[in-house]
Amino acid sequence: MSAADTTTTTPTTPTTPSVTRPRRGRGLIRRVIAAVGVDNLSLVLALVLLVVVIGNLSPLLGISGGQFFWSWQNLMNSLAQSIVIVGLLAIGETVVIVAGALDISVGSIASVASVFSAIIVTQGVLGSFGAGSMQLAILAGIAAGVFCGVINGLIVTILKVNPIIATLGTLAAFDGLAFLIAPEGKPIGVVTQPEFTWLGTGRFLQDLPIPDLGGRPWPGVPVIFVVLIIVAVVMHVVMRYTEFGRSIYAIGGNATAARLAGINLRNVRITMYLISGAIAGLAGVLLTARVTSGNPINGRSLELQAITAVFLGGAATTGGRGTIVGTFLAVLLVGVLTNGMNLLGVGAFYQRVALGILLVGAVAVAQYRQARAERARTRIAAA
Amino acid sequence: MTKSFPNVLALRDVSIDVHPGEILALMGENGAGKSTLLKILSGDYQPDGGTVTRDGESLVFAAPREARQAGIRVIYQEPEIIPGIDVAENIYAGELPMRGPFVDRARLDALVAEDLRRYGFEGVLPTNLMGDMLSSAQRQLVEIMRALKSGVRVLALDEPTSSLTDEEVERLFTLVRRLRDEGVAIIYVSHRINEILRLADRVAVMRDGKLVAARAASELTQGEIVRLMVGRELTDVFRRRPAVQDRVVLRAEGIRSDWHKGVDFEIHAGEVVGFAGLVGAGRTELAKVIFGELPRTAGKISVDGREASITSPTSAIRAGIGLAPEDRKREGLVLIRSVIENASLAILARLTRFGFVQRRLERRIGAEYVERLAVKTPSLDQEVGKLSGGNQQKVVLARWLAAKPKVLILDEPTRGIDVGAKAEIYRLIDELANDGLGIMFISSELPEILGMSDRIYVMQNGRITGELQGGEGVTEEQVLGLAMVDHLAMTAEQAKAAMEAEGQL
Repeated sequence: MSAADTTTTTPTTPTTPSVTRPRRGRGLIRRVIAAVGVDNLSLVLALVLLVVVIGNLSPLLGISGGQFFWSWQNLMNSLAQSIVIVGLLAIGETVVIVAGALDISVGSIASVASVFSAIIVTQGVLGSFGAGSMQLAILAGIAAGVFCGVINGLIVTILKVNPIIATLGTLAAFDGLAFLIAPEGKPIGVVTQPEFTWLGTGRFLQDLPIPDLGGRPWPGVPVIFVVLIIVAVVMHVVMRYTEFGRSIYAIGGNATAARLAGINLRNVRITMYLISGAIAGLAGVLLTARVTSGNPINGRSLELQAITAVFLGGAATTGGRGTIVGTFLAVLLVGVLTNGMNLLGVGAFYQRVALGILLVGAVAVAQYRQARAERARTRIAAA
Repeated sequence: MTKSFPNVLALRDVSIDVHPGEILALMGENGAGKSTLLKILSGDYQPDGGTVTRDGESLVFAAPREARQAGIRVIYQEPEIIPGIDVAENIYAGELPMRGPFVDRARLDALVAEDLRRYGFEGVLPTNLMGDMLSSAQRQLVEIMRALKSGVRVLALDEPTSSLTDEEVERLFTLVRRLRDEGVAIIYVSHRINEILRLADRVAVMRDGKLVAARAASELTQGEIVRLMVGRELTDVFRRRPAVQDRVVLRAEGIRSDWHKGVDFEIHAGEVVGFAGLVGAGRTELAKVIFGELPRTAGKISVDGREASITSPTSAIRAGIGLAPEDRKREGLVLIRSVIENASLAILARLTRFGFVQRRLERRIGAEYVERLAVKTPSLDQEVGKLSGGNQQKVVLARWLAAKPKVLILDEPTRGIDVGAKAEIYRLIDELANDGLGIMFISSELPEILGMSDRIYVMQNGRITGELQGGEGVTEEQVLGLAMVDHLAMTAEQAKAAMEAEGQL
């Protein structure tokens, strides 16, 4: 929407034309803003500011980390790889939170999928069929995630348990399940499966003639980062352009109204937990490949970071608002912040405190802005 | 007094005075500035210019609390009632009589009983009823009692009757008159002209933030008030063209549910069928049972002669039924989403190819209905919550027109919207009937039921107690008689007890 559209809201003028059509031929800047979303501009700004601070100003403080930030080694290895797992979980979580629910079991689902994919890739199915196959392992992990997600969906829709309580329960149950399916509850090493570990270590586009940065040669794009981008794009399209996505926004905004408009709440909710579970399952597979081990504790406490990113990305706690783009930007922001703090030598405990403050601060700012918008709205309505 | 907001000058130099022992009616279309004026009185807003004086003393309110201390109290349509505590504690919330650290329950009960007796409401408002069990009327009564006990001098009521039945309205009027006689200055905001003419001593009409008239009620007629409010003549609001066809589009037989004891009715193509009754008669519930939102235990629903298996709103829509619910904010609209998303919600599946919503088609259809209904919105992407009540209702209607149902259920379609928008809704209903739609028209406003309906069903206690042919001959008394037929059959004493049991004011 262009700026001019938003400022002409005067419901009192009886002569307002009923509908003004969207204008064509908008400027490039406006198109970019529209694509990112006006609500996400502050995230972009915060991100730019953070990058400038970390990348340029830290040398002035006599700390060397900043110089290192702009190196291929850091950008493509440390940064791009570190945000993938949380990024995936956050994207799945966005769907659930926009629908006005919550899925806090995603970390445990990732653990289950991590162990399960490790079992499949080392032992195969039915004897040893498919052992060592990357594709089969990915499928197995996603299937484990779908299984867990459908359980969540059924508990919430059929048993009508509050989503927080339901997934708090399955958080514990799936965590236990991950240990139960691992032989003797021990991690399963997959170092001996080169085809599979390529997922975690592989690189695309290594041959591109890209100049060195920060004294480091172009290392190529990590495979897992490409996976994140693909999932993000697909889910962005799903949320924005499909019937399912529209239903998610409608249910999150007002479930009763959505039901009375003929939307099948149960199907949409089960599907949404299925999607969240499937993506968490994929994240579990990538975890196994990266740490070369199917460990039952792989996914522990990742849900906290994922949920943090979703709210930081501008999703409403009450549902109905939130975008994949926003979540992605928030994941990037948290990634850059963590990366920067690492480079500057900030201790791990301080980092956790900083992340906590960031979450609460971001939601507080969002609440304040919403309250202000609300006031403006009631004023206009009263006028 | 002047008050301006971004983009809008809400009040322009409005001067208004109220005298003790007077009921001043404040009228005007939505957006005329009534609510703003009240909010200045209540201390919610500060005027940009002008003053509030009481008994010659100039007052400035920085917060609602200060206005209350000055004896000025505004009662809104939906008062804040704390759900988990009972009536007595709600009335004395914040000023509970204490004995040490404990609430002095005995003294509280005595105080409340005394207050209720003084205003003649003992028995009507059971003091041990929990806040969330109260009817709209009872909630308002609680709020009024709160105001009275703190010695109110000026009482403003904002649309107090919009969710009350005629019966409850009478009781409220009795109370308001009694307060006037005790010397309270009363400001009464309402859209209902008949009520105003019966109740008010003086009428002030506002339009576009200005005061256009303030005259004695006895000098005004209904037509004059409407003309003052809209600035033009509203001739013949209920214009109906006969369009009833022989074909029955909706037939309900033996409908039973938790609320209904065997309901039969039918609606023809092109027919507007009014459903009248007191609040609690089961009309809204009937609509929801027919629409599959509430479960039915027995009975058959046929659409266009074919039995429809309706188990959910989804299946009802598929069978060709649409429902514009009573509470459009809570049940009708996704307020934080756009006009277009709300308008296309019921046809989302139809707009979808291979999982993707065809956005061009969606916008074309959306724009068509938004234009046909003359929804005043800056764009299709405007948040619905930012539109006025009348325009929000039109968005709900646009959704159902786009869905092209055979039967459209309208539950209180004109509640809380202004005269001008009401007239547009009536015109639209007539248009839809002429297009061959069957319309189930539920309303608590008898004039519009009588004015719009080809046929009227009257309900009480989950049954249809009568069927009347629409037209000139039917009177409000006839309808009310059927709506209270159970009560009329009893002695006056029994009827009173029954009404109290139903939780009515």
